[in-house]
This record gives sequence, structure tokens and C-alpha cells, in this order.
Amino acid sequence: MELTDADLIARVLVDDDQHAFGELVRRHQSSVRGLLRQLSRTDIALADDLAQETFIRAYKNIRSFRGEARFSTWLYRIAYNCFHEDARKRKELVGVDDELLQAEHDPQTIDPGLRHDLMHALRLLPVHERTAIVLCCQNGLSHDEAARVLDIPLGTVKTNVLRGREKLKRSLAAWGPN
Amino acid sequence: MIDDETLDRQLREATPYIDDEGFTARVMAKLPAARREPRWLRAMILLGLTLLGSGIAYLLSGGGRFIREGVIQLSDFPIWLLLVFAFGCGLVVGAFAVIVAVHKTPEVRDVARLRF
Repeated sequence: MELTDADLIARVLVDDDQHAFGELVRRHQSSVRGLLRQLSRTDIALADDLAQETFIRAYKNIRSFRGEARFSTWLYRIAYNCFHEDARKRKELVGVDDELLQAEHDPQTIDPGLRHDLMHALRLLPVHERTAIVLCCQNGLSHDEAARVLDIPLGTVKTNVLRGREKLKRSLAAWGPN
Repeated sequence: MIDDETLDRQLREATPYIDDEGFTARVMAKLPAARREPRWLRAMILLGLTLLGSGIAYLLSGGGRFIREGVIQLSDFPIWLLLVFAFGCGLVVGAFAVIVAVHKTPEVRDVARLRF
């Protein structure tokens, strides 16, 4: 039987079991790296550095995880803080490694042209709308969870998701049903 | 125009699983060293403290005289009162255990929060 996140966290807390933490990293690395790649709008190496920092901080502070939210939500919160601190240092970064981004996409599930336009439109959104869209629409967080991750009011999250969606829809109008 | 559901689906599909490709290993290599405090040491410390506490309590209570007196007094009680007392103690301990278990189990707390 596969261990749950809670089981693995308990092992880290009780035995300081780094293998258990490694399993948590393996489980959540894709979503955390994906989130940071979307947020940073920049080279993948930077996003991965931030993801590494996220997991190291999570390990050091795992005793402060109280299990009130999902572990992934807690990780997103740390990831967002890492991104925010880094962005403050660098101001906003520009450009993205499109080739690498494209290479990771599965060409069978979505039209490549639509994907390109969608990712481009997403990158053009202001950071607060992009973050809300990535958390709620891509990663399936509830508005309430996203509000906790971003430490902003629930109403602001709803507004950002709504505005972001409208802008994406307008950008992708040509791909809609005729 | 694309509807919300289609847009969300396309957003999810546009971000497929990112292969690990050594990422976890790099994170693990940068983690601070695990503190190595053997389990048996923790158990021995707890056991030692318990024995020490018991010894001190035994000496301070005059060689456990109060325990003998307590047992003698209890033996004078009617049997039904002892049963009620034992049942009450069981209830209190059980309730305490349930409260602690619920508090420490996120899944149970989440069920309690669900709105039906």
C-alpha cells in the first residue's frame, strides 16, 4: 500500500527520515516546478533553483506544517514566497526558454498551436492574475486554498481568476467553437 | 468564445507532468544533515525519567503508605460504586483519546468540515 503524504511527513518528523522526504519531493516536484515556471516567465533553470529552495525550506520548516491544509498547498505557499522574494531582488524577469518549454509538452493531448497561444497569453497576464489562474485552474486549488497560498483576501483571488480567465478567453477567441 | 470548463481543461493539459531528471537527487544532496538521535536512546531517557519520578514519589509518600491506605479504603466501597468509578474513568480516558486522535488526524478534521 502506498504511503500517504501524512505518513511520510510523520516519518520525517519522528525519525528525521530523509528518504521519506525524498518521496515527498518526488511526488510534488512536477507541480511545484510547473508553478514556478509559470510564475517566473523566465529560464527554466531559475524556476528549478527556486523549486530546490522551496523543498529545502519545506524540510527545514516541516515542524511548522500543522496539517490544516494539504501538503501541496503548503508547498505552493513556500514556492510563492521564494518566487516573490526572488522577483523583488531581480525585479521582473523577461523572456522564456520556449524551446525547452515546448519540448516538455505532450503533443497528443492539445493542439500545439493552441498550446502555444495559451501559454503565450498566460505569460502576458499580470503576475497576480497569472498566479491565481495557475493555482486555481491549472493546479486545481480552491479559491480558499489559493487565498491562503497567496495570503490575500478570498474576494481578490476570485476577481483575479475571473479577470485572468476573461483575458485568456479573449486572447484565444480565434480557437473557440465557431 | 471558449467556455470556462474548456479553458481550465486546456490549461491543465498544457502543463503536463515534468520528469524528475535528477531534481529530487539534487534537492536531497542540499538538505541539511539529518539529526541522528537513535530511537533506543529516546526510549531509555523516557524510561529513566519515569523510574526516577516513580522513585521520588515513592520516597516522598512514605514508602507507598498512601497506596496501601487507598486500596484498603477502596475495598470498603460497595462493588457497584467501584464499577461506576471504573466505567467513569474509562469514559474520561476514551473521550480524551478520541479528542487527541481527531486533533492529530487532518482527514477526520476535513470530514468534520464538510457541508452536506
